[in-house]
Amino acid sequence: MNDRERWLATMHGEPVDHIPDEEFGYWDDTFTIWHKQGLPREVKDNSIADRFFCFSRREVVPVNVGLSPRFRRRVLKEDERHRLIIDEEGVEAVIHKDGSSSIPHFVRFPLQTREDWKRLKRRLDPDDPRRYPVDWEWRVRQWKDRTYPLGIFVGSLFGWLRNWMGFEHIAVTFHDDPDWIHEMMEHITDLIIKTIQRALQDVQLDFAAFWEDMAFRNGPMISPKMFREFMVPRYKRITDELRRHGVDIVYVDCDGNITELVELWLEAGVNTMFPLEVRGGSDPALLRKRFGKAVKLLGGVDKTKLIEGKEAIRREIARLEPLVADGGYIPHVDHRVPPDVTYENYLYYLKVKRDAFGIPHPKCWEEQWAAAQQHLARAVA
Amino acid sequence: MFDLTPLTEAVIVGNAPKAKELTQKALDAGVSPGTILQEGLIPGMAEVGRRFEEREYYVPELLIAARAMHAALDILRPLLTASDEVQPLGTVVIGTVRGDLHDIGKNLVSMMLEGAGFEVRDLGIDVSPEKFVDAAREGNCDIIAMSALLTTTMPSMKLTIDALKEAGLRDKVKVMIGGAPITQEYADQIGADGYGEDANQAVWVAKQLLGIAR
Repeated sequence: MNDRERWLATMHGEPVDHIPDEEFGYWDDTFTIWHKQGLPREVKDNSIADRFFCFSRREVVPVNVGLSPRFRRRVLKEDERHRLIIDEEGVEAVIHKDGSSSIPHFVRFPLQTREDWKRLKRRLDPDDPRRYPVDWEWRVRQWKDRTYPLGIFVGSLFGWLRNWMGFEHIAVTFHDDPDWIHEMMEHITDLIIKTIQRALQDVQLDFAAFWEDMAFRNGPMISPKMFREFMVPRYKRITDELRRHGVDIVYVDCDGNITELVELWLEAGVNTMFPLEVRGGSDPALLRKRFGKAVKLLGGVDKTKLIEGKEAIRREIARLEPLVADGGYIPHVDHRVPPDVTYENYLYYLKVKRDAFGIPHPKCWEEQWAAAQQHLARAVA
Repeated sequence: MFDLTPLTEAVIVGNAPKAKELTQKALDAGVSPGTILQEGLIPGMAEVGRRFEEREYYVPELLIAARAMHAALDILRPLLTASDEVQPLGTVVIGTVRGDLHDIGKNLVSMMLEGAGFEVRDLGIDVSPEKFVDAAREGNCDIIAMSALLTTTMPSMKLTIDALKEAGLRDKVKVMIGGAPITQEYADQIGADGYGEDANQAVWVAKQLLGIAR
């Protein structure tokens, strides 16, 4: 089986030679610390790491369904430890100067009034030609005989607005001015549907991905009642469009405890949950028990077990074995790997996971890396 | 006798203009600021907390209720300060620990503690153990409440507890902790006095720690 056949068969609960070998990624400072623990210095970002660890290939088409253009990221001021920046979404935020992991401290948001919305909407124009790369036709030809799964990012109904407005502001606006929330979500839905048309017609895509991050560890940021009123019908419009073009694996990226929302996502045509933060309250085994095979799962390996040590890693993988056998599930660490997981523990985790699920071990990493470097040196020469 | 039930109701449903109007009416009718706080506003926020716990309310409802309470408090606060009629349940010094910049959870806890009648001194984000120690040393601090979002910043909680011990202040203040990766087990492990799973539970824990749980 190639990567594409294997991924689709796994997600559809069909027999496979083994499950795909996938991982979520790493925080920036995880690389810094792992370099001191033996990871080659050349492995310094997530895409290089994917190749280094020989994970299965899976990609998304480079179609921009969001802000176009995005804001220009720049530093406004800095002190000894912090930097005040404007990020690509126009949000002023304080971040650590040394690059260590943290959710930023948000200071000012670009969307506070209906006037701001009028301005921001100019960046949400579906007819903006920059939404597709100039070499789109060439890419479409390359994708025809691909051996790996290819999907499309289909945006966000709540997460984007929350990022642009700030959590407290959007939360109270649901009560103070629900019509405005409806208006904004409707515009975003129309934008997404219109933007993805060309990709859906040109390429047989394998999956679609939403991003929301709309749950705390005790549950969703808004009530299921609000979710149903504001979001379910709009997700449905998008997922109906996807299914008309044969895209039947639709996942949502949402950290935290999503349990209360899963039923509503399923109703809305979003059938796959990712990344299933176990300590955050989303356990893949419990979701499968409650929703059966209607729910497909990506992630769900408790990252804190990798911090804990080898015995905990073995127990965690053993816990997930029946679920993998059940199908429709690809296990991987339940978010980016934090820097308090040692490199040794991470390698051990990959070994245990690959052994447990029959995933072939790639060549010795060091050998592979040396070969790649020699190849590069020859190419340069 | 002035009926404070509609004021309580205005807080519960998050109607800030109504809460403000009814607070003024109560004052005009001769109800003392302390009575309005204790019998009108605090029961409202307690009910909001209960509904949050029971999953009838979510954070948006919590926020609009707190906004209504604050609208009323804006009128009452100068009068309460002048009269000395009501003492806070205790003072909580709160902050997000060193290395952590995220503050939504911490702000929700502050809001609920204030709503329950605590005085809250918010040290903000990325607060060093030294800053927590300084705040405890300054006095008027019954509880230190720390929040962390990341596994990498959790150790700052222990460092703060150690710093309190070194400064000889550990037995003078209670320490409670919370945040996404925190568990009761971790709280026990680092020697914290209490752990709150969410904003509402944090109120209950704070009351327990001060021996005033109701």
